[in-house]
Amino acid sequence: MPTRRLLAAFAATALVLGACSDPSTAERTPTASDPIVLATGGEPDTLNPVLGFGVDGASLIFDGLVSRDGQNNLVPALAAELPAVSTDGRTVTAKLRPGVTFHNGTALTAEDVAFTYRSVLDPKVDSVLRSDLDMLTKVEATDASTVVFTLKYAYAPFLQRLTLGIVPAKALQGQDINKAGFNQKPVGTGPYKVTSWTPGDRLVLAANDTYHGGKPANSGVIVAFVDDDNVRAQRARAGEFDAAELAPKLATTFAGFTVQRVPSADYRGMMLPFGRPVTGDTAIRQALNVAVDRGAMVKGVLGGAGEPAFGPVPPNSPFAEPSVAGNTAADTAEAGQLLDAAGWAPDGDGIRAKGSQRAAFTLMYPAGDSLRKELALAVVADAKKAGIEIKLDGLTWDAIRPRMKADALIMGWGTPYDPDFISYKLFGSQFAGEASYNPGHYNSPVADKALQDGRDHADEATRKQAYATFQKQLATDVPWVFLTYLQHTYVVRNGITGVTPRVEAHEHGVENSLWWNVHTWTKR
Amino acid sequence: MDKRDVTPAAVIGLAVAACLLVPVIWPLDQSAVALDNISQAPSLTDPGGTDDLGRDVLHRSLYGLRVSLLVGVVAALVATVLGGLIGGVAGLLGGWTDRILMRVIDTIAALPHLLLGIFIVAMLRPSLGAVVLSVALTHWLSTARIVRGELLSLRTRPFIDAAITGGASRARILTRHLLPHVLPKIALATTLMVPHAVWHETALSFLGLGLPPHLASLGNMINDGQRSLLTGAWWASIVPGLVIVTVTLAIAALAARWRDRLDPRVRAELEL
Amino acid sequence: MIRLIRRRLAVALPVLLATSFGMFLLGAASPIDPALQYAGGAVSTASEENLAQIRANWGVDDPLPIQYLRWLTNLIGGDLGWSTSRHQPVGDVIAARAGWTLLLIGLTLLVVLLTSLLLGTIAAYRRGGLLDRGLRAAAYAVESMPVFWLALAAIAVLALALGWFPAGGLTDITATTTTLSDVAHHLALPVTVLAISQAPWFLLFVRDAVAESLLEDHVLAARARGLRGRTVLFGHALRTALLPFLTLIGTHLPELVGGSVLVETVFSLPGLGAVSVQAALGSDFPLLAAITLITTAVVLAANLLTDIAYTAADPRVRVDG
Repeated sequence: MPTRRLLAAFAATALVLGACSDPSTAERTPTASDPIVLATGGEPDTLNPVLGFGVDGASLIFDGLVSRDGQNNLVPALAAELPAVSTDGRTVTAKLRPGVTFHNGTALTAEDVAFTYRSVLDPKVDSVLRSDLDMLTKVEATDASTVVFTLKYAYAPFLQRLTLGIVPAKALQGQDINKAGFNQKPVGTGPYKVTSWTPGDRLVLAANDTYHGGKPANSGVIVAFVDDDNVRAQRARAGEFDAAELAPKLATTFAGFTVQRVPSADYRGMMLPFGRPVTGDTAIRQALNVAVDRGAMVKGVLGGAGEPAFGPVPPNSPFAEPSVAGNTAADTAEAGQLLDAAGWAPDGDGIRAKGSQRAAFTLMYPAGDSLRKELALAVVADAKKAGIEIKLDGLTWDAIRPRMKADALIMGWGTPYDPDFISYKLFGSQFAGEASYNPGHYNSPVADKALQDGRDHADEATRKQAYATFQKQLATDVPWVFLTYLQHTYVVRNGITGVTPRVEAHEHGVENSLWWNVHTWTKR
Repeated sequence: MDKRDVTPAAVIGLAVAACLLVPVIWPLDQSAVALDNISQAPSLTDPGGTDDLGRDVLHRSLYGLRVSLLVGVVAALVATVLGGLIGGVAGLLGGWTDRILMRVIDTIAALPHLLLGIFIVAMLRPSLGAVVLSVALTHWLSTARIVRGELLSLRTRPFIDAAITGGASRARILTRHLLPHVLPKIALATTLMVPHAVWHETALSFLGLGLPPHLASLGNMINDGQRSLLTGAWWASIVPGLVIVTVTLAIAALAARWRDRLDPRVRAELEL
Repeated sequence: MIRLIRRRLAVALPVLLATSFGMFLLGAASPIDPALQYAGGAVSTASEENLAQIRANWGVDDPLPIQYLRWLTNLIGGDLGWSTSRHQPVGDVIAARAGWTLLLIGLTLLVVLLTSLLLGTIAAYRRGGLLDRGLRAAAYAVESMPVFWLALAAIAVLALALGWFPAGGLTDITATTTTLSDVAHHLALPVTVLAISQAPWFLLFVRDAVAESLLEDHVLAARARGLRGRTVLFGHALRTALLPFLTLIGTHLPELVGGSVLVETVFSLPGLGAVSVQAALGSDFPLLAAITLITTAVVLAANLLTDIAYTAADPRVRVDG
């Protein structure tokens, strides 16, 4: 008898499984009110801006005092107008937009803004943003709708730092922010409210009908988190998503979808540590800089979705210095001349040597990042042609960090917002060896001064001049061999309207991706 | 040699020959790429096709087989030594030691191997040594059981009694009488472990927890090939997969027939 | 039976404890800095002081025995710790995912048992026949295929080329509720792949056991009495072979767990296996250790249960406790 019951259960299961294979869900025609389904591999660790979610704005759930438009220009968001900077550059005053409420109905006040920034500065809070705001001494709410920021020193791009999402003070006061439930189910002022977040699976957002920027054009957003590039592409092809970020080679047109290649300030390059016998030699670094075939990398590794990189300021930025751009193809002959001139002579085994020192070093890459692995392989092949031997090592980040001062590394960074961001720490000598800002101990008084000038001056022309000097100095010293700027590649379902690509930063995921303005998207 | 042994033996012979000879006659530059020759379908000149960095899939598969077999054999040997020692202690001492050891082994058998392997590799950082250790530490149980069982049954056999009454030393009994009987069984158990160790290694590599991903290993290649599968270049994952299947199947088949000969009561009846 | 349970626990608990200690030592010896794990992707913008602060907040500078005792007492007290890769309590991560893994393994076990009993018995009945030879050849071939390779092939053919099944995930992404048919549709492929990869071992066992029992006296006697072939087969031979089969399910569970890790990863199912791989890639000790220990405890318990069921079903058998 039990056997028969089991068989019956099995038959029932088979029926259910069989019945489900009819593809009715795939053929359903979506209506405008349907939620938009997005897919990304970049799942946030937390949804709390204080801990690092949506720092650059466009976080769907939160608003900063300011946000960016389609050209990445600052526009007021929770601030009524762009905050005013005092003439000495050390006091910044923001007036709040009236009548803004959080998702839970409470009104936004200046105290919430002050609380948000104070929490970032609080040493008990494990916020990784603190070092970005180290110019900030205090934040005060002088009245219910006015916030005053006091800076240690004048910081030209400070307004760009005000995109950080504002959290309600009442929801977090007196709690251990590091472990608050808020981090999983936050309350913001943005176009979407959090319905649920299932880590590793999806984030479900519902439209905030009382959004101060106008009611969203769709009923909600579902963000699917699919960590693996291949699995995400498989599911995108099965038609599960309305828009998905895919690896460049996997973002190919398939039925019903269009590929979007979005320009970015997201660069990849090889960091070469100073103070080492091989990578510390300027001739080696300059030779590598001309020996790499950036054109072949863009075509072969990125499937065309990118452009050659020659410095940390993207070509589409007003601060870009055109003279630093070089040859996109490999110039092995020039590399050879540079090496010959410096005394690196060809040896029997095809690898050059200077005295007893072989032109050989180790290049690390993060093992989980297949793009960096492929760029590393391409660099190794190009360097070999120039007579430089590179040994590869694929490691986890915790294994890479202690070795960064000694071994080269494929790194990636970049932001389109201000040339001071990232570069100040990545190439400033005062950050040499500290954490992973300037792991290679790059030390150039010229670059230091240029970076400082760019930071201290508010005048556009002076800043341009400073960053031009900085970029030229980098091109001479080659602390990094810049390889490529990526284009972030997405597939978008035909019939989605409102997609407005804008130049993207290295860090993007739920926030700050192609869907930065998803609240204006509709689906036909 | 039975004619049914010919095919698997030939496959294993070829695999071993490939592992030993390919590095000599057809050395692979592990970091070579050919970005102007990516994702080419298999052809007469390139029987395995190329992957999406222009690397020869068949060539890398043979190198991957080399790594996998090396990990498999070394891990199996380490596991055999470990299992042999523990099984030997249990079988020779018998009594309470035996009961406790066997109970402990039964319990350890319930540990999920792959999860433990993942844990070990994650904490020691992915590397060849960590993979070997994680495979060896989770695969010694069957050898321990076999050794212990053999020793216990031998202890009751008349020729051992005769040797003891004849005044032979313990060492002599062990080396002259016990080892010759146990060794073939140990060798068989080790051989049967090799395919398991190979799967374990490829699984860890596939999950990104094995060898560094730029090196040619079968698991790494199937992982890389997953992307090529989506761009239509099926050969990049099919070829390394077929290499694993063919070689492990041949080892398993040969070992199964070997077992039949050692112990004709149990017939595995695997025919290829 | 109480004696059996007591004796089992007397061994299982020390082994679990030893495992936990070994795991802790391995974790402590590992060169991984939990503060860096915590900072995660933002590690490059966090300064050294910032990291030192995170370290102090975490108490990772205490002596090792204190850390171990704290971890163990917390574990026993139900506080599994804080997952550094998921930024959530470990207990929450496990609670949200364990159910799906259990469902995957449970369904797979059901499918494997039913098909292997059915096919194995038929193959044994017609030993040497076409079905028998074909099944055995297939079983050996499947046994040498890595399960993740099978899974990729299944996705390539059944999900991408033919579009019959979804390529991954647990529910339709727009679904607001988890419905049975939706989950069944998504689980069909992973369960089938995992079942196929696990079936050979069971199938061959049933086939050999039934074949052997067909030659036993009482079965031959039943035949001689003129009972119908089917009655003899299912009523006598299969029943004889069934009992030892039941206890072997327990011993095969670790394999099944390993297979589920791979299948969950390939099909992006939000289960324990997939999250433990992510935890390993992120060197998340608390989560990985908790999953491994809990899974082990569950498998040990399942083993004990099958043994108890075995002794209960057949009072002649005394499982040596």
